[in-house]
Amino acid sequence: MTGPPGGTTADGVPVTAHAEPAMGTVFSFTAVRGALPPGAVRAALAAACRVLHHCDALFSTWDAASPVSRFRRGAAALSQLPGEFGAVLQECHVAKEASGGWFDPWAMPGGFDPTGLVKGWATERALDELRGAGLPGALINGGGDVAAFGSPGTGRWRVGIRHPWRADALACIVEIEAAVATSGGYERGPHLIDPGTGLPAARAASATVTGPSLALADALATGVAVGGDEALAVVAGLPGYAGYLIRPDGSEADTGGIAFLR
Amino acid sequence: MKRAGWYLIAGAAAGFAGVLGLHGAGAATPSSPGPLASGGAGAAPAPAATATGGTSRSGDPAAPSGGAAPARRATGAVVPYGYGELSVTVTVRGTQITAVSVPLLRTAEPYSQQIAEQVLPMLRSEVLAAHSAQIHAVSGATYTSAAYAQSIQSALDKLHVK
Repeated sequence: MTGPPGGTTADGVPVTAHAEPAMGTVFSFTAVRGALPPGAVRAALAAACRVLHHCDALFSTWDAASPVSRFRRGAAALSQLPGEFGAVLQECHVAKEASGGWFDPWAMPGGFDPTGLVKGWATERALDELRGAGLPGALINGGGDVAAFGSPGTGRWRVGIRHPWRADALACIVEIEAAVATSGGYERGPHLIDPGTGLPAARAASATVTGPSLALADALATGVAVGGDEALAVVAGLPGYAGYLIRPDGSEADTGGIAFLR
Repeated sequence: MKRAGWYLIAGAAAGFAGVLGLHGAGAATPSSPGPLASGGAGAAPAPAATATGGTSRSGDPAAPSGGAAPARRATGAVVPYGYGELSVTVTVRGTQITAVSVPLLRTAEPYSQQIAEQVLPMLRSEVLAAHSAQIHAVSGATYTSAAYAQSIQSALDKLHVK
């Protein structure tokens, strides 16, 4: 193959793609190259990956020496932790409030756990690197949570929502401006905790939230996966955000405001 | 019983294939996923298909690619199957099916209802899976690195890395 590295989007626009393992999952990058030289695109992708690994090191609850682990067991005060930590803490406060308490990092077993928000937050920070590098558009899929800017060439970015019972099938396709996050128990078992009871709960087979911020969408999707219809109603009241719920019996509901491609 | 479910789909497919192209709904097509189980509520199949949710399809009618055909939508007749009756709504754009929903599903007893509720989403997703080449990413519950290898996202990444 000659020509520039990379393929094209479904619209035929040249992109550079990259898949980066981080945070126990894989981050998929789609960078619209525009007029940028391939080297500049590669450099931007490398910078974005460094951001991800930096966030991973800060917020890994698996690593006992990570800042978040030290904070959890009271071994480090907020003032002793990097600035990103305060930013995530602030986002967690906002998300808990916005979700009506269905997302509550302070109610998790084992202490404060921002995991339901931090992957979306880190994905956005990585995307900022690509935006800052002057790319005309890019999308990052952080293990199922998607943030994007610009255009894939024509129209908006199109994102399939995975079918909760079939890894090889989609429940629907949505168009997004900025972010979409999906939560559910089908990939990693019943890890979703009801903040009200401290016990695993699943009033949804799949919960999807779209909106301007992936950090908040990620947290809200976690909340809807736990709270089902009740949490979906909370999302319906948030300006700019919209939700789509597949209940455990396979029936569906949405708040309106999601651009389903049908 | 699963098998009965799939036959149900084959029958429904034959039913809605007959009505495709008869009615054009233009850009007014609602984009919300229809309720998969109406649970015996209401006898008229059409309203459930057109009244759900408040979603918009902004930007869609103005799809920029030159050959974009308008969306057309048709609801098939209510057809009996082995365990009850149902109707199917299909949306097409050009020659491609872009959506399948089931606005009406009535079954004789709860067990059949349960089976049908599990099978019907698969009917729609089978259709949508055929369109995965048109998407840029897949959103879903966080996958492990191992599960990623089996995912549609992984397939998309391979498509883009040439």
